[in-house]
Amino acid sequence: MSSADQDREEQSLDVNLLKEIAKKELINALNSVNGAKTLALDATLAGPLGLVTEVALLKIYLFHRMQDQIKRHVKESRKHTYTLLLVPRVSTLVSRILEEEGVLGEVSISAFNLQFIPLSDDVISLEYDNAFKELWVDGDETVVFDSAQALVSLQKLFGPFPQIRLEGLVTRQGKLSQSAVEPVLSSSANIDSLIILDRRVDLITPLLTQLTYEGLVDELIGIRNSHVELPVSLVNPPAPNTASGSAAASTSNAPIVNVKKDAKKKYHLATSTDPLYAELRDLNFSSVGRKLNAVARRLDEDYKTNLQAKSVAQLRDFVGKLGGLQTEHQSLRLHTGLSELILPLTRTDVFNKSLEIQQNLLASYETSAQIIAIEELISQGADMQIVIRLLCLASITIGGIKTKALESLKRDILQAYGYENLPLLLSLASPSLSMLAPIPLPPSAPQTPKYPFSSLRKSLRLLIDDNPEALEEVENDISFVYSGWAPISVRLVQCIAQKGGVLSNPAEREKGAGEQSKASISKVQAHPIVGWKGFEDIVSSIPGETVQTVQRQFDETGSGNPPMSANLPLREQTSTTVVFFLGGCTYTEIAAIRWVSRQNKGRRFLIATTGIINGASLVESMTAGGRSGEPKVGTAQ
Amino acid sequence: MASHPTAHWEAIGDATTFYRRQQLYSTPGKLPELSDYMVAACQHGGPLALMRDSTKLLTLGQLMPAVTRAQIQVWSPAGEGLLLFSWDQGKIIKFGWTADERLVILNEEGVYRVYDLQGEYQQYSLGSDTAETGVIDAKIHGGGLVALTSSLTLLEVKGWEGSRPLALANPIMTEPPHAWSIIPPDLNISRHVEVLLSVDSTIYTVDNLESVDQRLARGPFTHISPSPNGKFLALMTFSGTLWVVSSDFHRNITEFETSGVAGIDGPIQQVEWCGNDAIIVTWPSLVLLVGPSGDTLQYSYSGSTFAVTEMDGVRISSADVCDLIQKVPSSTMSIFRPGSTTPSAILYDAWESFTNRSPKADESIRSIRPDLAKAVDECIDAAGQEWEPQWQRNLLNAAKFGRGFLDFHNPTDFVNMGHTLKVLNAVRFYEVAIPLTYTQYNYASPSHLINRLISRNMHLLALRISSFLGLKPDAVLKHWACSKITRSKPAAAAGLGKDAEAAADEQVCNAIVEKFQQLRGGDCSYAEIAKKAWEVGRGGLATRLLDHEAKGSDQVPLLLEMKEDKLALIKAVDSGDTDLVYHVLLHLHKRLSLGSFFRLLEDGGARLIPATRLLEVYAREQNREMLRDFYYSDDRRVESAILCLEEATWMKDPAAKITTIKAAQKFFSEDKDRNFESKMMDENVRLLTLQQQLESEMDNKVAFFGLSVNETVRTCLLNGMSKRADKIKSDFRIPDKRFWYVKLSALIDAQDFEGLEAFAKSKRSPIGYEPFVQWLVTKGYTKEATTYVAKCDSPKRADLYAECGEWRLAGKECKERGDKSKLEELRKKCPNSMVARELDQIAASMK
Repeated sequence: MSSADQDREEQSLDVNLLKEIAKKELINALNSVNGAKTLALDATLAGPLGLVTEVALLKIYLFHRMQDQIKRHVKESRKHTYTLLLVPRVSTLVSRILEEEGVLGEVSISAFNLQFIPLSDDVISLEYDNAFKELWVDGDETVVFDSAQALVSLQKLFGPFPQIRLEGLVTRQGKLSQSAVEPVLSSSANIDSLIILDRRVDLITPLLTQLTYEGLVDELIGIRNSHVELPVSLVNPPAPNTASGSAAASTSNAPIVNVKKDAKKKYHLATSTDPLYAELRDLNFSSVGRKLNAVARRLDEDYKTNLQAKSVAQLRDFVGKLGGLQTEHQSLRLHTGLSELILPLTRTDVFNKSLEIQQNLLASYETSAQIIAIEELISQGADMQIVIRLLCLASITIGGIKTKALESLKRDILQAYGYENLPLLLSLASPSLSMLAPIPLPPSAPQTPKYPFSSLRKSLRLLIDDNPEALEEVENDISFVYSGWAPISVRLVQCIAQKGGVLSNPAEREKGAGEQSKASISKVQAHPIVGWKGFEDIVSSIPGETVQTVQRQFDETGSGNPPMSANLPLREQTSTTVVFFLGGCTYTEIAAIRWVSRQNKGRRFLIATTGIINGASLVESMTAGGRSGEPKVGTAQ
Repeated sequence: MASHPTAHWEAIGDATTFYRRQQLYSTPGKLPELSDYMVAACQHGGPLALMRDSTKLLTLGQLMPAVTRAQIQVWSPAGEGLLLFSWDQGKIIKFGWTADERLVILNEEGVYRVYDLQGEYQQYSLGSDTAETGVIDAKIHGGGLVALTSSLTLLEVKGWEGSRPLALANPIMTEPPHAWSIIPPDLNISRHVEVLLSVDSTIYTVDNLESVDQRLARGPFTHISPSPNGKFLALMTFSGTLWVVSSDFHRNITEFETSGVAGIDGPIQQVEWCGNDAIIVTWPSLVLLVGPSGDTLQYSYSGSTFAVTEMDGVRISSADVCDLIQKVPSSTMSIFRPGSTTPSAILYDAWESFTNRSPKADESIRSIRPDLAKAVDECIDAAGQEWEPQWQRNLLNAAKFGRGFLDFHNPTDFVNMGHTLKVLNAVRFYEVAIPLTYTQYNYASPSHLINRLISRNMHLLALRISSFLGLKPDAVLKHWACSKITRSKPAAAAGLGKDAEAAADEQVCNAIVEKFQQLRGGDCSYAEIAKKAWEVGRGGLATRLLDHEAKGSDQVPLLLEMKEDKLALIKAVDSGDTDLVYHVLLHLHKRLSLGSFFRLLEDGGARLIPATRLLEVYAREQNREMLRDFYYSDDRRVESAILCLEEATWMKDPAAKITTIKAAQKFFSEDKDRNFESKMMDENVRLLTLQQQLESEMDNKVAFFGLSVNETVRTCLLNGMSKRADKIKSDFRIPDKRFWYVKLSALIDAQDFEGLEAFAKSKRSPIGYEPFVQWLVTKGYTKEATTYVAKCDSPKRADLYAECGEWRLAGKECKERGDKSKLEELRKKCPNSMVARELDQIAASMK
């Protein structure tokens, strides 16, 4: 594990560069306005900006509707100069709206080009919360354009992507590769290809309950812009006298802390400040307890050794280590507390019931019984997002729900959660998503190709049996993130970048050769990127186009046959594969890709996404969508 | 052979610093007498603009008819007339040059025009308020201007694209300043323009935020002049004292009394800087150079002069001659200073000996062997500083000679210098007349030079230079094509008919395309050229050219202008740039009638769907009325209905809400596939009406309106209206199971345990009795929960008892069922030893 970390660090593209650039841009943008200024931020922007720069750098005041503010000031004829910084660029729409509101003359508009923000050393995100909904519910393709721009900037920074692979795009993102021929600043980092995944290729994964540590925290507590809201008592270090004893002892019998009521404080989940988090975040939640225990033991040992320190030199060594120990101690305390918060939430009836339904649906086991189980959940008054997720999952895996059953379910939902949710149900059923389809389809509906779930499950080896013998297999495959289910999106990435991993587990084969050296030798040299070779049939069965582009530049500079000959001699070198999720990705997918990354020598992954999503945020964005216009109705006339 | 470089040198002060006067052009009789004119000159060897100074008397003999009207003349430094035009607007207040060599003319009404060297202009204004108050003075710098209005406020314009003027802080003056000046933004630490106003005895510094009184006592000043790097100010008092300070007024640099200078005649004309370290003060026919320590040099001219500060010297134009005065650069100094023994001087000497076939050369080279590389570099640099090609060549030859003795020397500088000098010599030629120094060239960049050449219509030279320097020919080609279109216009207009015009279009278009392909200007934007064609009224040519444009986004604005609406929209959609689509949509929405706007979108079919979706997104936020019309005209019932529902969610008035939902229901009912939705909305209306009724029954004490069906039932139960709840159940056909769960939770929350018991007994529970136990336990009513365990399935009872905390009962249950393993399990989980003991007893009794 640690050696893997090390060579990752050596080879990594320095994504912090992006952060620096964003920070500089912000400062420049702010400096272009002279003198003291008040900064009013849109609430949705405060989070992402917080990731770029320390809040201390800016004084942030939160206002929401800029134009009302300005109008009022104009009425009071107060003298202010307004500068509107638009992210990521100046838009016609905004100037039009300002014009309609009659304040265009009062503001000068400029752009602040905030693009990819690094969330971690291998994850960069645009932090667009509503990308999924905008793309496929509203049909607003701004996100596609902005992503293309951001990817182009990425190319400028790290060199061109020699090959681009698009999967399942029905939108016209082919534009991307055209606009992508731009001057290159540095081509030192070796990016071997860019894989773009349309979220609709794998709608199943976000619907499932994530079972990694980070994923569960996101599901149950909620992570926004890498920040999680925790009770103050957890985040702040306790008084020193109580600190020493509590750390090791707290894994058992936790008092149920009421998450809702306590005062909250935002905590930044970052591996740079919290080394323990890096070890924990991608573990399946079932093994988190064990890990915490081990760390607690080790810390205890460390503290003890120093008590035995005799000589002054030993003592000095210990004092030197003390700072590190304390940080670790604090972070251990926090994560123990956090797991305690989560644990009771995973024991609830609804949680387990929904997990059970998910597993059964994925295995296509007694599907009609699952529909009844969903109905039961509605009756019990489970959270709407849980019900909607299960229902969509059922529809996708079964290939639709019988009209009569579906209508009765929809009726239940409307009666239980309110009739105002009808638009949500309609958007889910719309052809662009088809997450909720009746059987048979009404004759007037456009025929969309069916999602070939059951054939994919077989050919991509998506489901790993949950019996005890297979337990080890689960741990040695990306399916550990969902306790036995491999995310389709990541399997597709494997189809390109780690073909062996799709067919069988690399660790499994290794076992035959020699039991003794599982961890060290099992790392296989990554094979060069040769496209979908071997998986063409599978890929073509998924709805949507598949595009492979070899970029022109590379053609000219490299040798005649870039994919093969250019990559083969570079055996020793580590190359980076960029995986871009259009429409967002989940923490589990990140964890799975990290796992793939660890299996291969010579290939790293950089995960780029429009935002981090989970099933709840997906459903929420679609529910909230209709209401966003509310405050403006009065002023529009 | 040209005269030795040192011929024009003059020592200043203690003879360690030299200044040189380099004659750039000799212009006898070419320029008019400058004292009669107002003059503005462009930096970096740019042209001079002249206008009759109406305050000066004019000898009648010189009076020519044209002079009575305001007329602007533009002369090259070599005295060639570049442009002449007359001005028919209001009185000119000020004119000056932009950084890219365009002439800005501002009149008293705040209207300003930006002329290029071909006489074409854009006109902008400082706004209607300014037009009323009037402008009394202005300062123009490369990237903008600052105007002083008659109400003594300052307005700043940034850039030359007609941006809105911004008011700077008000200095509160009662009369116009004695003199004023600006430090351009690029020279300021704050990166904002700073204005210096001489008011009374002090100076105010004004920027866009504040006006600061510098509390000086030596004013008022007649001249304020910032140095080229913006760090120093030269101030001239009325008594003729020149005072140099740092631009923050914290440091005194030097002081100099000009009144004592011999040979001065009349008032001081200009105070300018020569580079950053000396100041030029001019009188008619006399130029005085004041060095950093107050030492001076005098230069005389016949007639008036005009001095232009350059970054590395000062350019002086007079009627007869155009000179560059500058401090001798250090590399030149070290080679040519009399008696210099620096390695570079010796190298040069060695080379001279070598050319004279003298053996001294070898000896000299040997003596400087360790410093040879540095000497070579210095020779290369000095070559760049020389004006005469002969001396450039000599110095480069010396460098080449020295290089021969070096094992490793990077030739890049040498080669580049050769290239650069070729270019510089070409543009310094009097017909081109851009007397650019090497330093200025490096500062302003080669592409800047190319732009200056094409603005003079010197396309061939520009093209040759760009290919010589390996630059892309795009800019040149573009300008060439535009000029070609403008020039060829008369021919087309004179053509005999449409065919002739089309043929002419074809010909021009082909000529342009051919030239572009031939010169590989592939990245050049045809759209901009097409725009030019459109502007001069050649629509046919514009369309032809536009077809060659590869980038959709560039085609769109012109297409819109040409009223090719549909094509513009299609191109915008194809570009993938949503903002561009919005641009087109909003533009069309404004211009077309609503009907034809909708028709355009509807007829567009699948290609325009993304545009339609964007319009919907925009309209949902900003213009719902339009969206309603749009959906209605497009027969999109479902969307219309959703729109109604959205609005209903934020309506507060019950009646309006019901009406809106009814409307939605109607829309659904008109679509035969939306039977279900229609029915649901029908139910919704029924529910809302019922809720209204319930509220009035309860005298509005309980809120019902807007609750879901489940919540309504629950609220009924909490308020003891269980009959109503049953009624709702049957009216809305609530499934048994759901009803039971709702009722269960409501009764528990109301702590109505008797009611609960009655409910449990009312009939066999469709949900079993486990939920009774579990929900009661979660709420903490373990005692009540226990009573229901007996009703549950027997295999689960033991666990359920345990959940209720009734360990003994759980144990008993195991015993009854003979389930030892279960008992063992309980034993492990039990909370204390007492319970454990009891369980052990039971276990023992089971044997």
